[in-house]
Amino acid sequence: MVNGFVPKTLQEALELRATRDLVPYAGGTDLMVENRENVSYLFLGKLPELRQITVDGEYVRIGAAVTFTEALASDLVPPLMKEAVSRIAAPAIRNAGTFGGNLGNGSAKADSVLIEFVADAKLRLVSVRGERLVDVDKFYLGRKKLDLASDELIAEVLLPKRGLENYYYEKVGGRNALAISRVSFAGVFAEQDGKITNIAAAFGAVADTVLRWKEVEQMLIGKTLAEARALKADYLKAYEAHMTLTRGRVSAEYRKAVCMNLLGEFLAKFGI
Amino acid sequence: MDKISQSVVKKDHAPKIEGRSVYVGDYVTARDGRPILTGKLLHAKVARARVLSVQVPELPAGYFYVDAKDVPGDNNVNIVLDDTPVYCRETVEYIGEPIGMVVGPDEKEVQRILSGIKVNYEELEPILDLRAAEEAFFDYEFGHGDVEQAFREADKVYEEEFETGYQDQTYLETQGMMAEPEADGRMFVHGSSQCAYYIHGAVMRVLGCGPTGVHVLQDVTGGGFGGKEAFPSILGAQVAVAACKAKAPVRCVFDRREDLEYTSKRHPSLCRYKMAVKDGRVIAVDCDVIFNAGAYSTLSAVVLQRGIIAAPGVYNIPNVHVRGRAVKTNTTPCGAYRGFGGPQTFFAMERMMDHVAQDLGVDEIAFKEAHLVKQGDMTSTQGRYHFPVPLQAMIDEVDAKCQLKRKHEEYKKRQTGRFRRGIGMSAYFHGAGFTGSGERDLIKAVAKLRKYADGTVEILASNGDIGQGVRTTFPKIVANELNLPLDKVYYDHPDTARVPDSGPTVASRSLMVVGELLRRAAIKLRTVWVEGQEQEVEERFQEPDFMIPFYLDKFQGDAYPTYAWGVDAIEVEVDTFTGVTRVLNAVGNFDVGTPIDYNIVVGQMEGGFLQGIGYASIEKMDYDAKGRIRNNSFSDYLIPTTKDVPNLTAMLHVEKYPYGPYGAKGAGELPLVGATAAYVAAVEQALGAGKHPLRHAPFTAEDTVKELTKEGN
Repeated sequence: MVNGFVPKTLQEALELRATRDLVPYAGGTDLMVENRENVSYLFLGKLPELRQITVDGEYVRIGAAVTFTEALASDLVPPLMKEAVSRIAAPAIRNAGTFGGNLGNGSAKADSVLIEFVADAKLRLVSVRGERLVDVDKFYLGRKKLDLASDELIAEVLLPKRGLENYYYEKVGGRNALAISRVSFAGVFAEQDGKITNIAAAFGAVADTVLRWKEVEQMLIGKTLAEARALKADYLKAYEAHMTLTRGRVSAEYRKAVCMNLLGEFLAKFGI
Repeated sequence: MDKISQSVVKKDHAPKIEGRSVYVGDYVTARDGRPILTGKLLHAKVARARVLSVQVPELPAGYFYVDAKDVPGDNNVNIVLDDTPVYCRETVEYIGEPIGMVVGPDEKEVQRILSGIKVNYEELEPILDLRAAEEAFFDYEFGHGDVEQAFREADKVYEEEFETGYQDQTYLETQGMMAEPEADGRMFVHGSSQCAYYIHGAVMRVLGCGPTGVHVLQDVTGGGFGGKEAFPSILGAQVAVAACKAKAPVRCVFDRREDLEYTSKRHPSLCRYKMAVKDGRVIAVDCDVIFNAGAYSTLSAVVLQRGIIAAPGVYNIPNVHVRGRAVKTNTTPCGAYRGFGGPQTFFAMERMMDHVAQDLGVDEIAFKEAHLVKQGDMTSTQGRYHFPVPLQAMIDEVDAKCQLKRKHEEYKKRQTGRFRRGIGMSAYFHGAGFTGSGERDLIKAVAKLRKYADGTVEILASNGDIGQGVRTTFPKIVANELNLPLDKVYYDHPDTARVPDSGPTVASRSLMVVGELLRRAAIKLRTVWVEGQEQEVEERFQEPDFMIPFYLDKFQGDAYPTYAWGVDAIEVEVDTFTGVTRVLNAVGNFDVGTPIDYNIVVGQMEGGFLQGIGYASIEKMDYDAKGRIRNNSFSDYLIPTTKDVPNLTAMLHVEKYPYGPYGAKGAGELPLVGATAAYVAAVEQALGAGKHPLRHAPFTAEDTVKELTKEGN
């Protein structure tokens, strides 16, 4: 028997979450398809506390129940995130699907999650016990495994306000709409006084979680473009060596070839 | 535009658009008010095995388990041959083969019982790959001229292998049939289908009853594309047996996964072509065509016949040899899908012509143009192209529309950037109507008109509207001849209890063959019309006098009275980094004779063309090492969405057929046939023709990247 709980406040939601075995339900675009039997849902989609997009000194804070359509209409959401979100499924799905749901589903193919990885986003998790901030890459423990306690809910995504202006993004789906990513790539670049300060690259849909290798990125941090160009071959070789990809709807070889091509294009775009 | 071509609102437009149409899954009760029992099939889980035992848990009252032992008549479904069992025999031959059916009032309980059934198998080694197949259900051979001599005399001989994959029909409405035992002892079978009389015959045999022991109604049907030509005979037989045992109405509607995995789809193919060239002309072609039939023969005989008759394409080649085999493997039986064997062989022939032209250093399009058949030329089966062949004019029209030849020259230049372009062309036909003398010897179509006292006229025929619009176009023809407003003539979904057998809804035949019968019947009715009186007239199929008799044993004579012709040009841009290919332009020029309704025909041409582009590019379906189809959901089997419809143009070139109604020919299947060859040719040109000979379809993004990796990009 399917049961549903519709809390009026976040506090009420947290109390329900702490005392019962409930599946958090925001937009339902995955859960409705799964149509599990004998589960009870905790409907979070209408909670005002989870439905805001705000900005503070450091972060753009996107509530877990904010839909993709709402994010696309917001002036606060950075263009990189909007570009990724605009490629999700189709308008009807984007009207219902949420940032919290995209995270909670635990998939490495989640288009908004890729951006959170490359942006070093943090997640605010809440429970009756309190709240904590966790880095998005720490939140993902493995395929469909999340660092989320049974009484916790995802409340917000904290996306750094600055540093996402220069980016390269590409999604490869099986077709132009309603397509799950087969390979997705996001790169963010920043330089100051002629030196590279950030060169983050994240790869989605190619393994159990979104992939990012900060140690390889370090090779180019602090370098000038000329120095980076000289290191390019070693840098690409390091990525090649790290990239152990899984097969899915397409082969691991295809995924790797595309990832390397897009990584090269990312470098080229910023003069490396 | 002829008056008959002017578009009208389709007769089924309002009920469908308003959601009032009742599909088989929508019935709340049986016709007599009884509740409907749900049937769910027990599908085999292994590709080849002896079924040692089936342990069914104890059934609650009102629930039944049905299998071969419950078949009152013959446990074989009559299709072309009768090797397909209703429920499995002592072995199962593919993953998904129906072993039995659980029937009962509550669907969840049925599902629970089903998952509690234990089948003990003695597993046998399955044969999955068509190359490894040992048994051919059908093996045909024909030709003309002296192929061996031609190969000896040739300046150059070419040999290539081409492969195509599965394609699923992906109709919106999945397979679904229902059987209701009636008070008078008849079995009433109805559902989503194309061929009411095929089901009628199949159910008779299974129940062991005479023609009046059963009647079959086509319900409103949400698409068929060939997928509901033979399969509903199998499912119809299964629910009829179940209804017999339960003595109650039984309905079985497939879910999408069942439908994608276990129902018939387009035959994967392997074509080995050998071509001889002398003085720049093709003087001989030797085609060895193999179709993967799957575990049972179903429609493979006729799909293969149509495929191999088209094997030498639209070209005049003096020496031809063709061998065609449909081989048995332990995979889902393949069947009918729009194009019916043609898309596979046209792909091979068109690609072969492209590659030979490239090697000879001549332009592919010019090479094809130099070999086009003309009116009066001999067909592959020594029949004649009796009517004008408009292909050259159609190529010129396509060229004018999209600068085909200029672009084709331009894209020959070496391209090195990330995005590279190409354009490809294909020329092809679809033989109109049944292959060979099928219309005359097998179908013998009969159609009737019944005029009621109030002056309305009902069409009595057995062709089902599956979206192609016969509920509208048939009445248009009859109303036109009787000078009646269209709303005075109607055509309901056929019930075999009250309509004659005008043949199945297949082979792009309904409008050309049955439409013409109705036109003649209407003329007859006009001459005997008596106001206020109920009257009935009948027409029977007659083969046109010009036909050269066809002998199937020799593959000799006119395989078709006439042909619908097509020319496609597809222009692409390939992203060499991701392999993703964007169709910039797709122009199809289709000669289906006079369109009986312009909007309907253009809609069919656009839809079929897009299906062809899907088949060429993204519609990839495959089985795993155990023989299970992996692409069993719409997130794993992708078909084009509205966002994937390219700049697509369907042009109509009208070459009227004097023996079709107002000049109409077969239309439905043509637009799918040539897209694969044109698309893959375009991708090939973008990657560098000559450097990357592409020989299979679908050609996916992954294939492109693989191809580029070969040369180190």
